[in-house]
Amino acid sequence: MLRTRVLPALLGAAIVLTALTLLIAAAGKPLGESFQIILQGATGYPRTDAYGPEDAWDAVLHDMTLLLLTGLAVAVALQAGLFNIGAAGQLLIGALAAAWAGALQGVPSGMHLPTALLAGAMAGALWAFIPVWLKVRRGAHEVISTIMFNYIALYLTHWLVTERLKDPAGDAPQTAMIADPARLPLLREDFLQASWGLGIAVLIALGLWLTLYRTVWGYETRATGANRDAADAAGVPTAQRMVEAMLLSGALAGLAGAIEVCGTQYRFFEGFPGEYGFDGIAVALLAGNHPALALLSAWLMSALRSGAYHLHAETGAPKEIAVVVQAALILYMVAVYLRKRRVEG
Amino acid sequence: MGEIFDGQLFGAAIRQATPLILAALGGLMSERVGVINIGLEGKILMGAFAAALGALLTGSPMIGLACAILVGLTLALLHAVATQEWRTDHIVSGVAINLLALGLSTYLFRQIIVPREEAGETSVVSMFSPMSLGGLENLPILNALFKDQSWLTLFALALPFILLALLTRTRWGLRVYAVGNDSVKARTMGVPVKRMRYLGVLWSGVFASMAGAFLVLAATGQFRENMSAGRGFIALAALIFGRWHPLGATGAALGFGFFEALQMRLQGQPVFGVQLPTDLLLMLPYLLTVVALMGLLGKMKPPSDLGNS
Repeated sequence: MLRTRVLPALLGAAIVLTALTLLIAAAGKPLGESFQIILQGATGYPRTDAYGPEDAWDAVLHDMTLLLLTGLAVAVALQAGLFNIGAAGQLLIGALAAAWAGALQGVPSGMHLPTALLAGAMAGALWAFIPVWLKVRRGAHEVISTIMFNYIALYLTHWLVTERLKDPAGDAPQTAMIADPARLPLLREDFLQASWGLGIAVLIALGLWLTLYRTVWGYETRATGANRDAADAAGVPTAQRMVEAMLLSGALAGLAGAIEVCGTQYRFFEGFPGEYGFDGIAVALLAGNHPALALLSAWLMSALRSGAYHLHAETGAPKEIAVVVQAALILYMVAVYLRKRRVEG
Repeated sequence: MGEIFDGQLFGAAIRQATPLILAALGGLMSERVGVINIGLEGKILMGAFAAALGALLTGSPMIGLACAILVGLTLALLHAVATQEWRTDHIVSGVAINLLALGLSTYLFRQIIVPREEAGETSVVSMFSPMSLGGLENLPILNALFKDQSWLTLFALALPFILLALLTRTRWGLRVYAVGNDSVKARTMGVPVKRMRYLGVLWSGVFASMAGAFLVLAATGQFRENMSAGRGFIALAALIFGRWHPLGATGAALGFGFFEALQMRLQGQPVFGVQLPTDLLLMLPYLLTVVALMGLLGKMKPPSDLGNS
């Protein structure tokens, strides 16, 4: 336990701190003060008149909602042995679908929010279907096809939002505002971004934990990911489990996009932040693809981002510090946890 | 139609295709020995930054190119060590390298180049001067295609033939084939599998970073944030569309470059009276690759041992 869990975790924390120290020093900012600002951005403490816990938690919980969902999306696919690099595209398609459904006229007001969220999840699942179908039917590597689908989603949504679904009320490349009943309420009145989407995401994380580790379906899915040939031999319908896991993965990424629309932005626009889909990869890897640990890793990544953004706002240090630290963390995970056992010489 | 499909368009297509060819052939070097390389994008981006910094500080595009290759080799070495020594999943390592390149290049750009710009100094570097065609300038087709191209473009166009010769006519080429298709058998036959893989991955670093250097030293003269703009992934698509064959990958890269040039040329102009949305043109390379993956264009067969090490 000490050697396999505690020491690597401590070393990981040390690497994050070292990377932060180096990047801040290289940016020519005072160290002690910078770390204090990062801590303030991540937690709100020490509080000042201009920036307090409500600002920090608003940013952190908002990011955490999206990172948790995209992280779970990547994790559930990886549990079935599939690398879903396409969460970014699925998120974009889901967001646009939710924005479209949320702006529909004549939907009963009690049903409008579920309709919009469901539209997002289904669109995301649809976007994940062709890649996984190509995988099980044609043997095409899912990484390649999901990368292609990311770019197709990027250009397709861009075309739709500039040509077909543009808000007729203005010139800006964005969809119309969604209807009030399709909105997710914010977590607190003084928040600007973090919505009750977080509650949905946390419930899904817990539900996924139970499903993956306490049901036959979960067992078979994990068996498929661990060794497909062995699972096949044991009678698991592995192709079916892979398709299901990938559809679930796409639905989660699409839901992330829908929640960003219904809870925070209230519309889809040119330049919608699909990158959250990529950040989900880091969240899943850091959590070892475990849904419950994803809660922790999503929070950690969000706090790191919020800290780095706050440092950027206060001192002008490049906010990409967060990206570099995230990359260093993945590389470290790669070196320590994700080594494959050597089979042959 | 004459105004759209003229020689200049094809010249622009070759220019757009140059970094795609270089990166796709870089990907080929690594995938033919069984190492998946989705880190091409990151190597292009860091290569572009290193080229800009090197050329900016020394005033020499050649030193810029050397810096780019050095940085490309470093990133490639990281990928080689991660996949061969730590036995990491090739995708995870590639994702980490792309992330690292995006973060580092933007961070360093803001730290080093932006302050110079703010101080009123130029961030435009001295570029490779375009080749002169000499007496060939009078041949209309050659003139249209190769006027004002850089030597890097000529190198990129020659590279697939060099690689094809090496892959099919040398001992090294046979060993590449053996390692990529059945590394266990290759090892039994005494092929130094690990060394072959290291070399393949390192060459991919060289070519991909040259693609980045081309963007700065031959195309734009400046580094910009995230200027690789997905070219590494289009190159990957070209590699697959071209079925891991040097000429196929180059042909696909030229085709994809043509779409880019056409899209820039059209900018809303109607073709045959129809307004083609530029987004759909930009989407075409990816869409075509998916169609190829579906098997609609014949059988796709990657190196059988791809990703297994």
